[in-house]
Amino acid sequence: MLEINELRKRFAGGPDAPGGKVALDGIGFTVRPGEMYGFVGANGAGKTTTMRIVMGVLQADSGSVSWQGRPLGYDDRQRFGYMPEERGLYQKMRVAEQIEYFGRLHGMAAPVAKKATDDLLERLGLTERKGETVQALSLGNQQRVQLAVALVHDPEVLILDEPFSGLDPIAVDALATVLQERCRGGVPVIFSSHQLELVERLCDSVGIVSAGRMVATGTVEDLRAAESNTLRVVVRDPAPGWADGLPGTVTVHGDRHTLRTAGGDDQEILRRAVKAGRVEHFGVEQPTLTEIFKEAVA
Amino acid sequence: MNGLLLVARREVATQIRTRAFVIGLIVTGLLVAALSFAPKVLGGDGDTYKIGLVNSQQLPLHTAAPDIEFEWRKFADEPAAKQAVLDGDVDAVLVDDARVLTDGEIETELGVLMQSVNREFKLGAAGVAIPPLEMQSVGADTRYESARRGIATVLVLVLFMLIIGQVVMVAMGVVEEKGSRIVEILLSSVRPWQLLGGKIVGLGVLGMINLVVILAVGLGAAMASGLAAEFPPGIPGLVAAVLAWFVLGYAFFATLAAAFASLVSRQEEVNSVLTPLTMVIMGTYFVSFYSTNDPTGTLATVMSYIPPFSSMIMPVRMAATEVPMWQVGLSMAAMVLGVLAALAFGAKVYERAVLRTGARLKLGDVLRSR
Ligand SMILES: Nc1ncnc2c1ncn2[C@@H]1O[C@H](COP(=O)(O)OP(=O)(O)OP(=O)(O)O)[C@@H](O)[C@H]1O
Ligand SMILES: [Mg+2]
Repeated sequence: MLEINELRKRFAGGPDAPGGKVALDGIGFTVRPGEMYGFVGANGAGKTTTMRIVMGVLQADSGSVSWQGRPLGYDDRQRFGYMPEERGLYQKMRVAEQIEYFGRLHGMAAPVAKKATDDLLERLGLTERKGETVQALSLGNQQRVQLAVALVHDPEVLILDEPFSGLDPIAVDALATVLQERCRGGVPVIFSSHQLELVERLCDSVGIVSAGRMVATGTVEDLRAAESNTLRVVVRDPAPGWADGLPGTVTVHGDRHTLRTAGGDDQEILRRAVKAGRVEHFGVEQPTLTEIFKEAVA
Repeated sequence: MNGLLLVARREVATQIRTRAFVIGLIVTGLLVAALSFAPKVLGGDGDTYKIGLVNSQQLPLHTAAPDIEFEWRKFADEPAAKQAVLDGDVDAVLVDDARVLTDGEIETELGVLMQSVNREFKLGAAGVAIPPLEMQSVGADTRYESARRGIATVLVLVLFMLIIGQVVMVAMGVVEEKGSRIVEILLSSVRPWQLLGGKIVGLGVLGMINLVVILAVGLGAAMASGLAAEFPPGIPGLVAAVLAWFVLGYAFFATLAAAFASLVSRQEEVNSVLTPLTMVIMGTYFVSFYSTNDPTGTLATVMSYIPPFSSMIMPVRMAATEVPMWQVGLSMAAMVLGVLAALAFGAKVYERAVLRTGARLKLGDVLRSR
């Protein structure tokens, strides 16, 4: 289990912000083995800073990160896979050599690193490109190499900063499949993203961060349950004034009247609707992650 | 340690395949070979005399002056010999073992030589043996002075070019990794000292390859051209010392270059951030160059103990003159301390600065942080 507790980080301010800039103001969440954790938040919310602290690239002012009950150390991080926000690869090094090199730096023996590299290149659709230098690849393909670098040593934990940005839909699916496999093998995966539908589709749990604070964290179902769900009723050609006295709002498109409400007696609403006209739709709508997100950071 | 070696191996493997490295190696090899042949090719002509003979015997001139080449030509009669002298085909003609024909005045050296050898030869024939004067030097052994100076001059150039070249490579490599943020991933798998050490070791190995090639080509060509015959004794010791001093000097400058380079994030800034260091290397070079001419002077002697200057000046002094072992040992010990200090300082700066991408950092701020 990866536990992140009350991380705080202030950056030294420049001339414009003499007091410094608070980037993290108590970030904390927990990721269990085999859990895919989506880390979302507006630009500048503190996602990257958090991940850098987890990876030891930055030092937190206070707070702690622990892995399997012990404070996270250098040796543990060697077995983590990390994809930084700003992509970094040796531009003049060949694709396969580069992935193998990082595998070996993580302590893999040469043949093992080679095998893992070939497998990953195959999975990520880069096999034909393995002999090219990185600078000869398109941005999306460089991104795939970066992912391969994060995955090559079969990491115990994956920390990926916006891994899906810049990928085409096929590559998104390929990566999603790879990540789901690793997850099923018991690896906790944390990734940040601004593609909320993707997060909603892939993740078991989500953390929403805003201005350096966690505003929500938990399973997607929990977050939904916490939101007040909306009842939506569509009535065809109802009698005028049918919704008078009912809670919520009515919108009209031609002869189709839609009532949306977060409260009230649903049975009473249904009776009134049936009496008023032909009921085309009656149901509780779950908010999308996008709606939850907007609500949370508002 | 394993991480360090992997990093070093990558550096070697990457650089050795580049066209720049291969071409550089070939060009320096050719240059050094040319330098080793040059003295013979340029200096060869002046020391040859062509002497004609008419009804005479060859004088044992070569025995008296082994450094000089003599070419002998027989002429049938005096008029033919005269014509050859006037045409400049020969420098002098010996006639009937008694007279010497020349065009105007004879060159002093040749004249004196012929006179004295002739005298000795005739006396010897008459049974008078004269023991040759024994030469004894009470000053320094100056026999090899010019050869020593030549070697020292070439050495200064080679050491300077290699050190500055490799040091700039280290700096550019550090900035490449910092600027492109590869360090973020690298430092989640290796420690900063491994990354720094690996880069320095890797590029140092490449520098050594260069140096060994230069020394091997230089010595090989010197043997082929016959220049090696004029070399002073103790060349193997000098070669070993040069390699050791290169390692020390390179380690010192490369570590500091890496530290300074870690303050900036863009290749364009490398030059300016390295300026103080390149000035020191240039200064070392100038003093070394001066020392080739005055290897026993106060400046050369004093500076050959002070790190990092000693790393270039001491080997130059060792080549240019004879330096007692205890002096070399003392100077080397001081330089080793200097390298250790540079490593401690450099690793500290590098570790603190290399992840702080963005604007150029101030050395003072980095040292004060954390
Ligand atoms: N090196 C730094 N120096 C000063 N301020 C920084 C530094 N790095 C980050 N910050 C500030 O910390 C805050 C959090 O930044 P962070 O990069 O973590 O955001 P993020 O959630 O990853 O944003 P994005 O979605 O845009 O990637 C921002 O206000 C940013 O300006
Ligand atoms: Mg970010």
